[in-house]
Order: sequence, then C-alpha cells, then structure tokens
Amino acid sequence: MTATENIKIEKPPKGASIPAKEGIKKAILGVFKKALETEALDAIMIPVKVPETESYAWVLLKDTTLLENADPLPPVMTIQGGKVLSDLTKHGKINKNIAAVLRPCETRAAVELFKLKQLHFENITLISIDCPGAIPLSEYLAEPEKSKKSFDNVLDKWDGDDAVRKVCQICYRFSLPTLTNAPASDLHIGLSGNTKDDVLLIPVTPKGEKILERLDLKADSSLQKWETKIKEIKKIKSQRRKKFNHDFKANISGPEKFTAVFDGCINCHNCQSVCPICYCQQCYFDSATTKLSSEDYFRRAKERGALRFPLDTILFHLGRMSHMALSCVSCGACEDACPMSISVSQVFSLVGEQTQQAFNYTPGINREESLALQDYLEDEFCEVETPSECEPTNSNEVKENV
Amino acid sequence: MDKDFKPNIVGFLCNWCSYAGADLAGSNKLEIKPFLSVVKVMCSSRVNSNLVLTSFLWGADGVLIAGCHPGDCHYEKGNYYARRRFALLKKIMESLNLEPQRLQLSWVSASEGKRYAEVVNKFAEDITKIGPSPFRKNQNL
Repeated sequence: MTATENIKIEKPPKGASIPAKEGIKKAILGVFKKALETEALDAIMIPVKVPETESYAWVLLKDTTLLENADPLPPVMTIQGGKVLSDLTKHGKINKNIAAVLRPCETRAAVELFKLKQLHFENITLISIDCPGAIPLSEYLAEPEKSKKSFDNVLDKWDGDDAVRKVCQICYRFSLPTLTNAPASDLHIGLSGNTKDDVLLIPVTPKGEKILERLDLKADSSLQKWETKIKEIKKIKSQRRKKFNHDFKANISGPEKFTAVFDGCINCHNCQSVCPICYCQQCYFDSATTKLSSEDYFRRAKERGALRFPLDTILFHLGRMSHMALSCVSCGACEDACPMSISVSQVFSLVGEQTQQAFNYTPGINREESLALQDYLEDEFCEVETPSECEPTNSNEVKENV
Repeated sequence: MDKDFKPNIVGFLCNWCSYAGADLAGSNKLEIKPFLSVVKVMCSSRVNSNLVLTSFLWGADGVLIAGCHPGDCHYEKGNYYARRRFALLKKIMESLNLEPQRLQLSWVSASEGKRYAEVVNKFAEDITKIGPSPFRKNQNL
C-alpha cells in the first residue's frame, strides 16, 4: 500500500505513460487486451461498433477478438454509459471484476445513479477518459465518414470545434479531477495535452492502482503538462459557456419564449427515457395521474379559446426539470434523442448550472456527497422565505469549477 | 393595472400551522382578500413541484406555500425539505424568467392569525400589481 499512501499524501499524482505509436485508441485497447489476457479484469464494458450499421452499442466483453471493433472514445454517444452500468448493477453488486470505460459525463451520471441507489460500484473499476465531445447523432448517421473525420479533427485540436454537439462545445467538465480524496472514477485516461505519441493512465483510487500493478505499469510520469493543457482548455470552454448561456438565456427565457422552444414537442418522452438521471420505473408524466376527464379539458379549452394537443408538454418539461436539474450532468443524450431537434439539452444544461450553483452542488464529482434534495441545513435559503427571517448563509457561494 | 383584475391564487397550507393560522384569522374576523383558494396539505413538504406547476399552467396567477416555522414542523423536519424543494423550483423559474415572484413561501404558525392575514393580503396585492398570468390565455400549453 505504500504506493497508495505516497500518492495520497506526499507526492503529486502521477500517471503511467503508454506509448501510442499507432494512435491513442489502439494504445488504450492494447492495455485492455492485456488486462483481459492476464485476468486483471474479468470483462470490460466498452462501446463497440455494431457490424451492420455505423452505430455503436455497449458490450460487456471477455473475448479479446471483440476488442477489435471496440472504441474507447466513439465519435457519438448513442447510449449514456451511466445508464448502461445502472442496468447491469441495479439489483445488487456483481461478483465479477469488471471495468467500464466512460466519458466524463457518463462517469458523473454513474456517480449520480449510485447516489440514487440505482447502481452498485462493488467490483467495478470506472475508467474515465478525456472527451473532446461527441458528434450530433443525426449528423453522424447521415454522413458517418465525414463525421468520423471531423471527430478525429476535434480529437486532434482539443478546442471545441463546431462539429461536436452544442453542449459539448461549451462543456468544461470534459476531464475529471484526479483528486484521491474525492474520486469520481478509479482510473482516468488523460489524452489532451500529451504529444500524440502517448496516453496517460492516471490511478485515482486503490482499485485503479491495482489494475496498473497487475499490468506491470508504473505510474511514474509527471502530469504537469497534461494538467496545464486541461486548465487552458477549461478556461477557453468556461468562457465560451458563459457567453453562450448568456445569449441563449436571452433567447429562450420568459413565458412566451420558453413555451415557444417546446412548440414542436410531440410528447414522445424520448428525452426522459434516454436521460440517465430519469431512473423512475414509471414516470409521473406517463402515469394516469396526469390524465384528466374530458370535462376538465373542455373547461380549459373554454378559458383559453382553444386547446392544443398533445396536452401538458410544458408541464412535462418543467416537471422533469424540477425532478432532475440538480443532478443533470449535461451529457446531451436528451437532445440526441429528440426527433424534433428541440434544444432540450441546452435548456436543461442552463437550468442545471444555475440551480446547481444555488445549491452549491456539483453532480457526479463526489460519491460521498449526499443528494441536494435529501439533505438540509437548519439555516439556509432564508432569502426564499417571505418575509425573510434567518441570517443569510453562503448557500449561494459558487463552488470552484472542478 | 387592470382595476377589475381579480387574481386567482392557490394556497397550499399545512394542516398543523398555517391552516390553523388561517382559521384563527377567520375567528378573529380579520379582513382577508378573497383571492386565495386554499388547499389543505398535511405538511408543506407534501407540496411537490407538479402541484405548483400544474397550478401555474392551468392559469393560477400566484401560488402560496405556507407551513410551520423552521424548527416547529409537526413532522420535525418536513419544512426544511419543503424549503429546499421550494428553492429549487424558484431557481428554475428564475433561470427561465418565468415570473418567479408569483411563487411564495411563508411560515405562519397556528397562533399567527394576524400574520396570516398580512401575508395573504400582501401577496394578493403584489399579484394584483403584476397582473394576470401569461399562462392563463396561452393556447400553446
């Protein structure tokens, strides 16, 4: 355990540098192959290109030949990885030693699902990977080859290219903090900032260290260069986010503009069914509780002069927002799934950011932190009371952008 | 300001404090503006976002949630949770500029009949000033 203690207390964290002469993806897959062969891992959960189309599916694989079509960082996010991990472990821990390779937003969704008691982390090694964003699903399916090229280009440049989704362009959590005191993932794969000839495997928890140990990989490379680059990109993206959200808010806020955003909604609830945070077995908005008698609807129609169908689309979106905004990881799955191309994820990301700031809560970063609505302080939020009575606390203090 | 405008306000009052407070205000014959439709709930934490949002989208001009003072909850900590949920909803309305001033949280105990009257009258006055909810006539909901 001396290595662990060293990382925790004395020395700055270090990573294992893996040479990537044949490209970073090959290098990463090589590590996974070795991990499966040496039985350091029983299986790996990773996106794999499906044989018939250009799409990707998650596969839990043991057979190393399947790794040939695997991609640790596919150009699109077809299915949110946090949700996949929850499907696997919802009803209890697994007894196999597996690793899951997730983007930062997928990792954070997994951590939120863990807090929501929808996922078990026992025997699972979470491997997160720096992510330059993902191509919008519809664009990718229309022109896969072109999209792949633009994705490689983004991966090369690491500076929010227009090719990736809007929420990705303004995502400043494209990497995860590798602090051992608040681990989100067990092992982080650092990409940006390295020369293209190597990949950094950064152990965050003892689980991550154990994997490296089993693979005879020594975490002895400095992270400084990687960290500097991450900070640089983070700065650029944070500024871009600030500007974008400012302009976006002006365009969508207010009762009229807000309802106009969801004008095209066909009430398919795709956004809810792909959302990793929406875990309820039955959504309230699908339940009979929200369906009323025709008499009620006629009364409503009379008051308004007309009644639009599908009913209650705004109630659905606002209600869903009030259920999951505090845990929203801005992964953009909702927008990819929207057949009407509504900017759902941009709206949710904006609201998520503002509510999370008010609660001083960052979803998916710290497994130990309790969910914002399952906790309270006796003296807080007095500013929301009328008349206000308690002394203001620092509940509005904005947490450092980790 | 429309002089004939009579706001339609939904008030969720907790059974143990605010509802009793409203009762006391009535017994004391305090003057209360007749714009509040009272819904009795067992605790302010019973009020979830769906109740509030449905009220607004169906055309309520204001929503008042009233419960026991912090520390006095009949269920010990219900109102602390209610305050967090309220803060979330308020913040969502703020971040989308959905006229958050139409939503109010007030603490009124069973002995505060006078305070109840003041809170309701002041809120009714504020809502009258703001005017009818834009959702009232919105056909796009």
